[in-house]
Amino acid sequence: MLVTRYVAAFLGVVLMVATSYAKEHEGKEYIQENGYKGPETCEECHPGTAKAFLETVHWKHASKVDYVDNLKAGQEYGMKNRIYTMCNGNDIVNNLKEIPPNEAGKTKFTGCNTCHPGDHAVDVGSTGPEAEQAIDCLICHSGKYDFSKRKPAKDKDGKIVMTQDRSTEAAMDIGRPAIKNCMVCHESAGGGPLIKRGFAMTKDADVHAAKGLVCVDCHTVKNHRFPTGKDPNNWANDGVYLTCAGCHNEKPHKDDDYNRHTAYIACQTCHIPRTGGAFAKDFTQWAKMDNGFYEPSTLKKEVNETTPVYAWYNLTVSNTPHFIGPKGSRSDGKSKIYPFKVYQGKAYYNKLDGQLLSMDFAPPTATGDTLAGVAAAAKTLGIKKYEPVPGWQTIYFGSNHQVAPKSKALTCANCHAINGILNFKQLGYGDKEVEKLTSPAIYFNKAFKIQQENE
Amino acid sequence: MNKLFSIAILLTALVISNLSLAPFANAEEVKMVGEITKITMAGDGKAATAILKDTKTGETVTIDITDELTLDKFKDKRIVEGDEIRCKFNKQDGKNSGKTFVKTAGC
Ligand code: HEC
Ligand code: HEC
Ligand code: HEC
Ligand code: HEC
Ligand code: HEC
Ligand code: HEC
Ligand code: HEC
Ligand code: HEC
Repeated sequence: MLVTRYVAAFLGVVLMVATSYAKEHEGKEYIQENGYKGPETCEECHPGTAKAFLETVHWKHASKVDYVDNLKAGQEYGMKNRIYTMCNGNDIVNNLKEIPPNEAGKTKFTGCNTCHPGDHAVDVGSTGPEAEQAIDCLICHSGKYDFSKRKPAKDKDGKIVMTQDRSTEAAMDIGRPAIKNCMVCHESAGGGPLIKRGFAMTKDADVHAAKGLVCVDCHTVKNHRFPTGKDPNNWANDGVYLTCAGCHNEKPHKDDDYNRHTAYIACQTCHIPRTGGAFAKDFTQWAKMDNGFYEPSTLKKEVNETTPVYAWYNLTVSNTPHFIGPKGSRSDGKSKIYPFKVYQGKAYYNKLDGQLLSMDFAPPTATGDTLAGVAAAAKTLGIKKYEPVPGWQTIYFGSNHQVAPKSKALTCANCHAINGILNFKQLGYGDKEVEKLTSPAIYFNKAFKIQQENE
Repeated sequence: MNKLFSIAILLTALVISNLSLAPFANAEEVKMVGEITKITMAGDGKAATAILKDTKTGETVTIDITDELTLDKFKDKRIVEGDEIRCKFNKQDGKNSGKTFVKTAGC
């Protein structure tokens, strides 16, 4: 079987790689003798690495984007400057700072750019020798990183910085990034663990994790450029892409009935039947927590509790003030049906131009005053005239992780039964077609056989 | 006859009381937000206890942690004493077993 051979070969590679990495990093002795002084230490043997890193999404939080509507030509987009309603700000308006004291007189540091491998004194997208030396190489590469050392703090001049673990001990345990090195930042994207994507990369949640694969087995990184997908709401990219079929091929099934479907149904649709995390937030109304701080009121579900919404997607994105989601149709010859987590967020729009406004979270975190947050953000961005009116935005997130065991993949009746997961009509099928697609005639024999095998 | 009948009733009562002692019947799921005041790892690293101070009531609660992900976060200090935690745990027979254990975060 070609697939099994391929997969066996792949696993072989994984194992080989795993063992070769398990052997010690060749720079270890040098680091032990000379101590770790930051990227300059690594540069002794890996020259140019730090400089190249400054050109990547992980440093810039932005890139050119070519698959999304209504963007300005030549401009870069990403967490640095985008505004949407999963997190109603960006690195610029929510630059890491100490918020004003709340009722109880307590204060804290907040800011989006805490999820940046710099030290904040040298921030998102900065360049030059100082930036090169500020990179936190160990956050991704050390198996012994002490994460309690990475936190916002005031330095001796009162400047707010992100501290790092730059201990020689951490630098002596260099290797490929493990799942947790990535999850330090990715787990809490969107305002808390598993809020945005609702995907966990644990043995229970994903078959690949169960087989010992880690993030970078699929996201094969070269020169710190990370391959990604065309997610409707993660635009910034390093210009390299990956797909499921890249490892498995387009026809991975013994059963041709499934292979035929891959022409119009994405792998994720059958293999990732569940998603989770936040499905609605209201940024105009923050909720007071027991500790006296406020947070955006959020409706959320556990990792596996949400049924996705299914839509045609041709890998280009509709982007308007009230909708950011997939474009595509049954008939354009380029689309497949993909699973999405649909999320709806309420925030302030500018009545004068209809655009979504952003919010600086410092004021509302302290006092719950959301309009003060809008005012602070407008000031940062130099927006002089605006009239805030609340409105809703619907956004679609792709569902590309948390692959279920094959026994839990969707099969014939999940889709073709009358009460199946697909709304054929909404997907563009006519009445006659729907009748046929929901008739047991097209799946009865197959479904009966599967049932007998499982009885 | 009468005696038999009462024995039957007694037996039924026994069965019912046994049923109500079934493991999950009286486990109660509790949610709370609190600050960690102490983390103690078991020697083999396969379990830990965390003492949390409830932000609302100020009471302290001891929670047993056995899930790998959270234990790992204790080990590499992604979660440390002083962190504010949002957690769910099952309360039963005076024991609190942790279900979810995550840091609070705004956005
Ligand atoms: C004394 C030389 C030396 C120093 C200093 C050094 N390395 Fe290496 N490193 C090597 C050699 C040699 C290899 C193996 C050949 C290769 O892949 O270039 C390697 C491989 C690597 C690899 C890929 C293989 C693996 O083990 O995962 C990574 C990642 C890496 N180094 C990161 C770093 C980082 C981060 C630093 C700074 C903390 C650093 N290195 C410092 C010599 C060094
Ligand atoms: C805990 C780390 C973390 C924090 C804090 C964080 N983000 Fe992000 N953010 C991410 C990650 C990781 C991604 C990309 C992955 C994804 O979308 O799943 C991302 C993606 C985004 C995107 C989409 C960017 C694109 O390329 O299209 C926006 C917009 C965004 N974040 C806004 C914010 C805002 C606003 C804040 C602060 C209020 C914030 N983020 C705080 C980790 C974080
Ligand atoms: C955001 C996470 C991240 C950060 C930060 C990071 N790396 Fe890497 N690095 C990776 C990944 C992922 C790989 C690919 C590992 C693999 O698949 O073997 C990699 C690979 C490497 C390699 C192997 C050769 C190559 O280029 O592919 C070296 C050397 C390296 N990194 C050094 C560094 C140094 C030095 C720094 C700091 C200046 C750094 N890395 C910062 C994620 C990171
Ligand atoms: C210091 C925090 C941090 C760490 C550590 C980190 N990421 Fe990210 N990552 C981000 C943020 C923030 C974004 C989104 C930036 C944006 O969209 O503007 C992102 C974006 C991405 C993307 C999509 C954009 C691209 O470059 O393709 C992928 C894929 C990704 N990360 C994978 C990983 C993997 C794999 C690891 C572990 C090796 C990792 N990340 C470690 C913060 C981090
Ligand atoms: C089994 C392979 C696999 C593993 C393991 C994996 N990914 Fe992915 N990831 C993908 C694929 C495939 C896509 C894009 C699919 C598409 O858009 O068609 C993707 C997309 C992404 C994106 C873009 C936004 C999104 O969710 O679509 C981010 C960010 C990302 N992965 C981060 C991670 C991190 C962090 C880990 C580890 C915790 C990880 N991935 C583990 C296969 C994998
Ligand atoms: C890096 C290559 C890689 C990528 C990318 C990848 N996979 Fe896999 N996949 C594997 C490997 C390796 C296995 C384990 C095969 C085995 O042990 O039999 C696997 C196993 C599977 C299985 C079988 C699970 C079971 O119960 O046995 C399914 C289904 C699957 N992958 C679906 C997907 C989907 C869907 C995607 C995209 C979201 C994807 N894979 C992306 C490498 C990959
Ligand atoms: C119409 C639903 C459907 C689609 C679309 C689909 N699969 Fe599957 N897949 C299944 C089912 C059901 C199984 C388990 C039964 C079987 O293997 O026949 C399965 C099994 C698998 C397996 C395990 C095969 C084995 O023999 O162990 C892999 C790997 C896999 N799929 C990958 C993919 C990839 C990659 C894609 C996209 C190119 C994809 N699937 C698209 C339904 C689907
Ligand atoms: C994820 C949902 C999904 C699953 C699972 C699925 N199908 Fe389908 N199937 C579709 C869709 C959507 C179409 C319509 C494709 C098109 O546009 O022509 C379709 C079309 C068909 C057709 C063609 C009908 C015609 O027009 O003549 C047959 C036959 C069929 N499926 C049989 C099956 C069988 C048998 C299985 C199980 C082995 C199965 N399907 C599993 C979604 C699914």
